[in-house]
Amino acid sequence: MERIRKKKIKSRGVLLFAFNSSKYNYAQMAVYTARRIEAFLGLPTTLVTDVESLKTISPDLKSFDKIIEVTPDTSNIREQQTWFNKGRFQAYEHSPYKETLVLDVDYLVNSDILLKTFDLSDTFCCHKNTHMLMHPDAAQEKMSAYSYDTLWATVIMFKKSKRAKQIFETLEMVQENYDHYANIHSFVGGIYRNDYGLTIALKIVNGHTDVPSDYIPWSLVHVGKNTSVYPDQTDLQIPCDGNLFDYNTEFTIMFDHWKKSKVRKEYMTIKDMDFHVMNKELFVGIMNG
Amino acid sequence: MDTKKLIKDAKARFSHNSAKAYLKEKYSSKLVIAEQGGLWKADAQTIGFLNSFSDETLVVIDTFDNPVKVDRKQLLNSLTETYTNIMTEWNSEWKGLERKR
Repeated sequence: MERIRKKKIKSRGVLLFAFNSSKYNYAQMAVYTARRIEAFLGLPTTLVTDVESLKTISPDLKSFDKIIEVTPDTSNIREQQTWFNKGRFQAYEHSPYKETLVLDVDYLVNSDILLKTFDLSDTFCCHKNTHMLMHPDAAQEKMSAYSYDTLWATVIMFKKSKRAKQIFETLEMVQENYDHYANIHSFVGGIYRNDYGLTIALKIVNGHTDVPSDYIPWSLVHVGKNTSVYPDQTDLQIPCDGNLFDYNTEFTIMFDHWKKSKVRKEYMTIKDMDFHVMNKELFVGIMNG
Repeated sequence: MDTKKLIKDAKARFSHNSAKAYLKEKYSSKLVIAEQGGLWKADAQTIGFLNSFSDETLVVIDTFDNPVKVDRKQLLNSLTETYTNIMTEWNSEWKGLERKR
């Protein structure tokens, strides 16, 4: 009797995109994030990267379930450097999982809260609201004064479905016609931002209405300007296995409060909470303890 | 990193407002649960609402504004348990932060 081998489709996993720039080793950040994902979410991670970035993490490839090599789009220039952030629309085709979380590599996983996102929608969800640590009253970002509130591509959950496919195909279309949409929505084009691309794509797919289940019902926590993050302890490697770590989840957040040309230092401590570190140097500092 | 020394050297002041806002963000997300085909927030309003009925099943508007027919008692039990656990954690962390200067 002929035996049919079914291709094993893993049900859940995380997808990270990482392309090294001249300034930062994003692939190394992805290794750190993948290890935290394994520790806190218990999910496998697939890395989408290029050959050059991959060379820099050759001893750490075991941190990933799968590695997908692609040729990055180098057409996005920011501060005279290439910013490899295009191509996020390929998440749908690259993901080997039925249910996928797409994370930015500078998102610090500190808890299992993201597992809840799989219960939120049958197709797609992302963050709509943000909370800025040490700036609790900061306003939500808008693409422009005449446009929508920005949605965030930092954390995206999607399940393989017609609708999710449509959203990512629309994201590709928006990326290809970004300057046109920048013109319509009155924001500065030129530098492509995934957050803006996603905002426009999701609005188009939804007929410019809001679908509440597309939004994660809690805020994306950011570490913003004038704010530093210090780990309270270093991550401890568990001796029995080189890949196991006891990760620190407690951080001191320090903020420079400027008032009348004088700075006053303020701080608070946080624990067991995920956050997005916008400043890459801060993220590298956290990685290195 | 010795963060205690860092705080002392920088003469930094503990920001109670920011800490309070952080706790609210952190624990509000933990109060959200998915059950019986809907998404619910285990807050006083929802628990009080479910408690005010005696019917076995009930149609309730969930967090996504969908009317969901639920087993009232089952949902009430889940929400009450979540509320109690999370609020206890919230209170305990808040007490710890309250003492900081």
